[in-house]
Amino acid sequence: MDRQTYVDRQTNVDKAISVGNYLNLYFGQNQGIRLGDSVVVSRKAHAKMPEKRLKGQIKILLNRDAGKTYLDFVESDQVVHIDIYHKPGEINPCDVAKAVFKAVDQYFLEKDPQLQYAEDERFKIVAGYANKIFISTNQGKGTVYDLFQNIMQPISEDEEGRDHIHMLARLNQEEYYLIYVITEAAEEVVLASGAKLAKVRNIVHGNQKQAEESFAGYIKIPWKSFKGQGATPLPAKENVNQLVLKLAEKFGGVHEIDEFLESYSTNIFKRKGIEQQKKKWGDVEHYVQQLEELDLIKNTLVGKILTKKGMQLKEFIINHKCEIESEIRRNIRKVPSGGMSGFRKLGKVEKKASCVKLTNRNKTINNLDNTWAGDLAVPETIIQARKNCFLRNDDHFTVRRKDLHYYDKKSYIPVDICLLVDASGSMAGDKRQAACYLAEHLVLTGKEKVAVVTFQERDSKVVVPFTRNHQTLSKGLATITPAGLTPLAQGIVAAVNLIKSSNVRNPMLVLITDGLPNVPLWSVDAKADALEAATYIAKNNIRLIGIGVESNKSFLEKLMDKGEGVLYLVDDLNRDNLINIVRHEKKNILQTAKMA
Amino acid sequence: MIPFYRLERYEGNEALFELVLMSIVSTYAGEPLHFHAEGVRGTGKTTIMRAARDILPAIKRIKGCVYNCDPAAPHCPHHRNLSAEEIEKIGVEEIPMPFLEISHSAKVGTVAGSIDLAKLTDVSNPEASLLPGIIPQAHRGIIFVDEINRLADTSPEITDILLDVMGNKPGHIQIEEAGLPVVDVTVNVSVWAASNPDEEPGPLDEIRRQLSDRFDMVCYMGRPDSVDNISHILKKNSYSYKRIGNEENGKKNTGYRDAEENIKYQKDIAKWAETFVKTDLPDFLRNFIARLYIKYNLESIRATEALQQGAVLYSIIKRRDKVTISDVHHVIPMALKHRIDGDTLVRIINDIDGRGVKDGILSFKGKKTQKKGETAVPDYFQQDARPLKDISRSELINTEKTLTPS
Ligand SMILES: [Zn+2]
Repeated sequence: MDRQTYVDRQTNVDKAISVGNYLNLYFGQNQGIRLGDSVVVSRKAHAKMPEKRLKGQIKILLNRDAGKTYLDFVESDQVVHIDIYHKPGEINPCDVAKAVFKAVDQYFLEKDPQLQYAEDERFKIVAGYANKIFISTNQGKGTVYDLFQNIMQPISEDEEGRDHIHMLARLNQEEYYLIYVITEAAEEVVLASGAKLAKVRNIVHGNQKQAEESFAGYIKIPWKSFKGQGATPLPAKENVNQLVLKLAEKFGGVHEIDEFLESYSTNIFKRKGIEQQKKKWGDVEHYVQQLEELDLIKNTLVGKILTKKGMQLKEFIINHKCEIESEIRRNIRKVPSGGMSGFRKLGKVEKKASCVKLTNRNKTINNLDNTWAGDLAVPETIIQARKNCFLRNDDHFTVRRKDLHYYDKKSYIPVDICLLVDASGSMAGDKRQAACYLAEHLVLTGKEKVAVVTFQERDSKVVVPFTRNHQTLSKGLATITPAGLTPLAQGIVAAVNLIKSSNVRNPMLVLITDGLPNVPLWSVDAKADALEAATYIAKNNIRLIGIGVESNKSFLEKLMDKGEGVLYLVDDLNRDNLINIVRHEKKNILQTAKMA
Repeated sequence: MIPFYRLERYEGNEALFELVLMSIVSTYAGEPLHFHAEGVRGTGKTTIMRAARDILPAIKRIKGCVYNCDPAAPHCPHHRNLSAEEIEKIGVEEIPMPFLEISHSAKVGTVAGSIDLAKLTDVSNPEASLLPGIIPQAHRGIIFVDEINRLADTSPEITDILLDVMGNKPGHIQIEEAGLPVVDVTVNVSVWAASNPDEEPGPLDEIRRQLSDRFDMVCYMGRPDSVDNISHILKKNSYSYKRIGNEENGKKNTGYRDAEENIKYQKDIAKWAETFVKTDLPDFLRNFIARLYIKYNLESIRATEALQQGAVLYSIIKRRDKVTISDVHHVIPMALKHRIDGDTLVRIINDIDGRGVKDGILSFKGKKTQKKGETAVPDYFQQDARPLKDISRSELINTEKTLTPS
């Protein structure tokens, strides 16, 4: 080996190790990097940002783990995602695989020259990695191991125009140095193929907007058995079921799915225009498109209408309303994942909570303290006494103090919640749905009452008074149609009055808003009026939490200060964040009560 | 009560009828199969399960043994150390396969065991000894828990006992009573449960996930949805039908035909159990299940065991002589619905249907297709880039911060 080559290689090993160290550092901070000019590396999914004026940017999607997104992994951080961007050109994945294979082999040989005498060992190491690295270009895809042997899977239609080599590598932290080795080798193949490498101008970290799912891709309709005789109808049933639940997730309950489907009926009186639909449900076009793909809606001269299959679906939903509603409620009860990652909390409230004590008839305890107080469990006491008499060799039946059994006590702290929901125009669609979902989740998972008050246009409205009844709740929620301005002061006053006039325990007011007040109540200053109104919350000893967005931080902080509440700032007013915040706050109340 | 064979069958309750038979066959053969029927009111789940009591075959036990000792393999504290001759001396008796219920307000003592009050209060010869509870007494039979979600919510102690009983096949149970030695016996029982996920306190998997996973199978009940079904059900429940039905059948005594039908089931079950003991899943189907486990990252190994056991049993009660892919297919929703999300379930179901069994293995095949919109936008990248090998070490790492002009 001549000296120059030796130096090159040595720098290569150094570069690789240094890159490995940095990747470890940045991945640990949940960040991705641009490696050199044209490569983006992270443990997340990546997306372009064509909607931005500035081209050439790549977004690293913090809420989309690469392993989970591309490989259906359950655990996160298992997979490193490498994208090498290039100008138009056809890249043969087998060539890439071969180069990667060779480079990894070379690298290990340089690190440990002894390996040249242990062919088997060396092959085993490299083959091991070859099975853990997956490559996809605009010509085909597969593991390095398969591609090396020219076994290639075809790419799907939407991968055809790809302008990057997409690589997924299952590597652990100690192996990150290999990323440099792999990437450098792959770049060589791009250049050799005549394509140019493309410069990534910038990288940006952020969340992907709740991805609209393309369920048309994996749900199969029609649902009558599609395999001929002897085939079971069950799987088809699961398909329809899942489709309906998807629709329910988007639109709300059975009633609202029906309302949505009516918009595509031939009855022109029941048809709702697309703008009207959007106000209530947000982006419905995606869903219409999906239903078209599933052949449930079709285009006609008079506009989009339900197909015969679509009408069958509608009928199915009506006929199975009971079970479907039950399953929808089952889904709403589910506790979301994500924990506390989607929000930050500012401030703290200390308010005393009163608790309710209940007798637990299922469990008895021996009287351990000396109070003699409690709910005596007579049968257990007698049995215990009889047994102990026998063991004590008493000559007649006696009851002693150590025989006494008492019923156990359970205590819990009821927190009745009033949601104060901003129903101004900006809350239309997903945010409205998220707030409704939170209300339903609370009623279905707790033992406490829930009320919903909205404010919009120039006024406020008690949409649902305090209730434990899910039906009452969903009926009320269905009437929320966001529009107009943000009269926050009016909303606060209405909520406080509702709480004061209802029979509630440890009331908590949860304000959900994405905006700032712009309709005054008493003066000409909407913000000042809202702050003034907030003092009523504190005066009435109502627990307050505010959920808002980062951009309104300074006003919301003032508001919480006046109302003696806690502020939660979210990057997105989605249902998981809302539920997790309220759960977190309820847990706090319990803990504070336990410590007191 | 309407006998098992006369209960109305329709699409929404079909799976439960199958599970009942599968579980009895398996239990009779010595391998429990636990299942859980979930459904709203009016689906008749408890009626079906309770009606199954009459089709249970008989089992042999050592005479008078409350633990239901199998004469060939005694396990209880009284009989486990006895020789074959000694057992023969005690004698053997036939009893119906046990079917016992645990209510949601049951107490630990009733379920596991407690001091024997009859013996303790015996005037002439009082004695402190253990009386096995419902579970040990149901050995080699069925335990039925209605409203299991409420039980799990109000009685974590009994839930823990069930977890032990269902943890392995066979499971085991400890009977503790202060002042007496602890008894630990194996129990081979199938647990059948029913619940309404829509009533307080909500679905079992939200209350105690662990317990929900212990059920090999689950079925979500549907309500009768055709006018025909409902009018049939009405007819069968009408007083006049019951009378006429009985008169027609009752040549010797009423209910003659019912008894006959029940005996038919009992015979079938005994025969099926024999087949079950001898039937193994073909290797290719076992591999197929193993591949599902890997490809879809199923968390629970129990799920795969349930698929295997369920597919064999299903083929048997359908009187087929071979287990086929469609048997596995059929039990997939039962074995997986309570363990994975709905999207994954339909993916698995449709996957098999579309591509058959031959599909290759491992990690990268479970790949989702790329989302649209990731394809090339013309001229998205305007500048050319230098390759890594021409870039100095200090320029290799670029973060969002270093790249963003401030
Ligand atoms: Zn025994």
